[in-house]
Amino acid sequence: MIIKKRYSLWFVILITVAMSARTVAQDRPAADVKQRDLIAVLQSDAPKSKKAITCKQLAIYGTEQSVPVLAPLLADKELASWARIALEAIPGTAADTALRNALDKLQGRLLVGAINSIAVRRDVHAVDTLMRKLDDANAPVASAAAVALGHIGGEKAAKALTKSLAIVPAGVRSAVAEGCILCAERFLAHDRTAEAVKLYDTVRKADVPDQRHLEAIRGAILARQAAGVPLLIEQLRSEDKKRLGIGLRTARELPGRNVTEALAVELDRLSPDRRPLLLLALADRSDSAVLPTVHKAAQSSPKDLRITAINILIRLGDVSCVPILLEAATEDDANLEQAAMETLVRLPGKDVDADLLARLPQARGKLQQVLIELAGQRQISRALPVVVSSLHDTDARIRSAAVRTIGIIGQDQQTADLVKLLQKTNSSRERAGIKKALLAISGRCGVRCIPHLIPLTQSRDSELHMIGLRALAIVGGSDALVAVKSAIESAEPPAQDEAVRILSNWPSNWPEDSEAGQALLMLATSAKKMPHQVLALRGYLQYIRGNKKLSNERKVAKVKDLQSHIKRPEEKRQAIAVLGEAASASALELLTTLAEEPAVAEEAYSAMVRIAGQDIRGVSKDQRRQVLQTVAEKSRNDGTKQRARKTLSGLR
Amino acid sequence: MCKERVGLNRRRFLKTAVQASVCLAVPEFIPGTALGKSGSVAPSERIVLGAIGIGNRGRYVLGCFLREPDLRCVTVCDVRGDNRRRAKDMVDAQNGNKDCTTYIDMRELLARDDIDAVLIATGPNWHATAATMAAKAGKDVYCEKPCTKNIAQSLALADIFRRTARVFQAGTQRRSLPNFAYAIELARTGKLGPLQTLHAHPGGLGTKMSGWLPAEPEPPREQVDWDMYLGPAAWRPYTRKLMNAFHFEKGGGLVGGGCLEWGSHCVDLCQLANDADDTAPVEYEPVNGQLHARYANGVKLVMRNDGWLPLGSCPVRFEGKTGWVETGDNAEFAASSQSLLLRRGTKIPGYPADFHVRDFLDCVKTRALTRANADAACWAHIACHAANIALYLNRKVKYDPKKNEFIGDEQANRLRSEALREPWRI
Repeated sequence: MIIKKRYSLWFVILITVAMSARTVAQDRPAADVKQRDLIAVLQSDAPKSKKAITCKQLAIYGTEQSVPVLAPLLADKELASWARIALEAIPGTAADTALRNALDKLQGRLLVGAINSIAVRRDVHAVDTLMRKLDDANAPVASAAAVALGHIGGEKAAKALTKSLAIVPAGVRSAVAEGCILCAERFLAHDRTAEAVKLYDTVRKADVPDQRHLEAIRGAILARQAAGVPLLIEQLRSEDKKRLGIGLRTARELPGRNVTEALAVELDRLSPDRRPLLLLALADRSDSAVLPTVHKAAQSSPKDLRITAINILIRLGDVSCVPILLEAATEDDANLEQAAMETLVRLPGKDVDADLLARLPQARGKLQQVLIELAGQRQISRALPVVVSSLHDTDARIRSAAVRTIGIIGQDQQTADLVKLLQKTNSSRERAGIKKALLAISGRCGVRCIPHLIPLTQSRDSELHMIGLRALAIVGGSDALVAVKSAIESAEPPAQDEAVRILSNWPSNWPEDSEAGQALLMLATSAKKMPHQVLALRGYLQYIRGNKKLSNERKVAKVKDLQSHIKRPEEKRQAIAVLGEAASASALELLTTLAEEPAVAEEAYSAMVRIAGQDIRGVSKDQRRQVLQTVAEKSRNDGTKQRARKTLSGLR
Repeated sequence: MCKERVGLNRRRFLKTAVQASVCLAVPEFIPGTALGKSGSVAPSERIVLGAIGIGNRGRYVLGCFLREPDLRCVTVCDVRGDNRRRAKDMVDAQNGNKDCTTYIDMRELLARDDIDAVLIATGPNWHATAATMAAKAGKDVYCEKPCTKNIAQSLALADIFRRTARVFQAGTQRRSLPNFAYAIELARTGKLGPLQTLHAHPGGLGTKMSGWLPAEPEPPREQVDWDMYLGPAAWRPYTRKLMNAFHFEKGGGLVGGGCLEWGSHCVDLCQLANDADDTAPVEYEPVNGQLHARYANGVKLVMRNDGWLPLGSCPVRFEGKTGWVETGDNAEFAASSQSLLLRRGTKIPGYPADFHVRDFLDCVKTRALTRANADAACWAHIACHAANIALYLNRKVKYDPKKNEFIGDEQANRLRSEALREPWRI
């Protein structure tokens, strides 16, 4: 039973902490020496801060020998919590006795602390004293005692708590109810179901906070097992939302096929707004008996329930759900269609793929469109021939679906099909769809696509030309680069601009495409149009920054060579970013020059701190100090100043 | 395993990004509720939220909550006056009034009957204690990570949320991010072949005992309530340096360490990839600056801080017999084969918690388990704590996830729990 199994998990810690003396102690002689030293600290005039940490260490190394020096600390407001860390952990009865003895000496918070530690250790010998504390005038003390009794459990504790429930002040009642529920769980863990049920029912009827009622209701349902179904259904029908909530939770927890069946029957009896909630709870039961109920709901009304059922089929469905889902996906309702498509995409199983594939050749209209989409989303590559044949369908929606699917599962040969289709259509929408698919295949299939894409780069239609260039840019490599460079030199202005943009963002396959760097440098230094120069300059600086084959010195040299072309602050900042990552003496030198320009001084200072913080060949510690000192004095940015000072202090 | 390395440069990323744009926006998740309702929400149907511990991270997550149309935040609580003011301003601006109430002591907020759910972003010292207090007070809980300070707290958290039947969502929002979810799907559906090794970035592996610094003058309570700040942590005098709640006692007071920082995300994702939301590795061993763990099913878990591909923070890598996939916070992927990435869906970089918050709110309504429910969080945290204990002891430890004890290892077993300062209890 769930409640029983779970209960034992938590308490095993409590048991084994207290009983760990039975386990094998590692290296006990060494631990004994350690303990002796730690005890000596506690007995000395050491400051409390040292004694505090000593207590913590005794939690690991302490034995019963430590208890006499720890026990007096229970009355020390500042050290009591530290002492209890050790006392809770030290195995054996001495710690139990020390905590029990403290109950008659302590008051208020310190007393509560000692009671809490007894609860953790589950000291059965403390029950009588704790029972007396139930009547304590101090509500936190009485409450702590009640919860401690719950943790310890047993008949005596349960009897005391039950008796108290009716007589303790309102402020303590919640804790007493908590104690009762804990006791009930202890009974269940020992197969004493009747006693557990009795305790749960007592709390259900008591004048306690509602949360305790809810816990008791849950316990009462689960403890009764199948016999708890009527109480569960009572909650599901309750006007009170909280009781409905506890019903929904226990509907997930209470095991058994007969419970599933009873809840399925109840589904039809509930008000429409509650049915989706119960259906979700049923679905969480991991019981295959739920599936017919979900099937039925997926075909029924109202819509909310239907959508809920369709979504549940993602988890529970199989090939048998396909007809139901296809029906929903082809209905004239966007919400239903979306839900059904999502489920159909994720429904597991190769038999689902086979079923969908078998339906595709005969399908027409909306069903055909849906099946084509699914072939893509589910990556049913065997559907490719049928999908390709749909590229020329008279229905634009089917053509679009086919293009999308080919974008996902198509190969390089389909690049040719898409290029042909692209050349035939003037519809901007269709062109956009085909472009996406082309880019996707190009990315996937690489250089094999190039022969099919070249015709686009020769098109007089500038839009097609640009699509071709973009697809080539994704492919990358020297052939693609040649086409892009050719467009820069000879194409019409719009395509030329696009080609420069593509080159300046040339995918960072550097240094494989090192020719891109050369082309960018040429453009940066000699392009006729200023925007082309700027784009190329940015691309080139990015190229330098990302090129792992270039040494730091060579990177700095390249920036230096280009310095006369780097005029605007934007590009200077980019150059500083390159220099900041190229830790070297030459980078520091160049940054020092750039720091004299107010527009980029702060970026330069920040980069200087970054470099000066590193041990660099050719830069002495004195030089690094000097750089950091300069930054600390001149920078106006508090963060940079602080970093400079911190780095400087680390160098001293 | 296929040796082809895909996705290691921007060209490859561009290619996969293009492919993603071709795919339909396939949802990465099975919808939590699919209740099919949208549009405006009646005030009576709104979930009423209280926010506890609202510093920088708290305000970020609160911002995600406030974007949800079916939520209304009405109160905030923080031990720091400046945080209270900022959070109140944020909530008032959203609500268009000045009605957001503020508290220093979370018990006052939890006592309110009108609050359905709470966001807890106090800092790890308080997380488990505050979350369990909230559950006992009848509130559903979204709790930032790391959610617990030790193994005992992890088990208690799961236990109490089960008993109280409250909804719990750990703030491990990467469970709800499409790229991580897709990588997990690849691992769980056998697309990588039988799983062999899972890699998690722990965000640090050092461990240390937390302590007590020299006392400084304590500020007025309105400015900082030091006693409430300390909460369940052992007493020490006020020190400004300890006021960084994000790190205070992170990973547990006894063996505080970095493993719980990103480990509670990345190890958590590995747990899910290995279908191990109900268990934890059985062996943990520090090896050359890494932490190697092993599950009972033979799958290895490697926690390492370096050697990652440039895919952003919090990366994970899943290796099977026939393929591998790696992803991180920039939402990009690297994989052994392009075909693995064909259906990867939409790219959402960074770490927005919106989806995770939405999942939580849906589950508040349906009472279903969240993606990062208390049980899943419990075991992911146990894996991290056990790793921390191995690191602290600097030796191999063996853990029995059924008995929840280290096998024949008294020292390790004593590190599973730590007393809470009075009067706090879980």
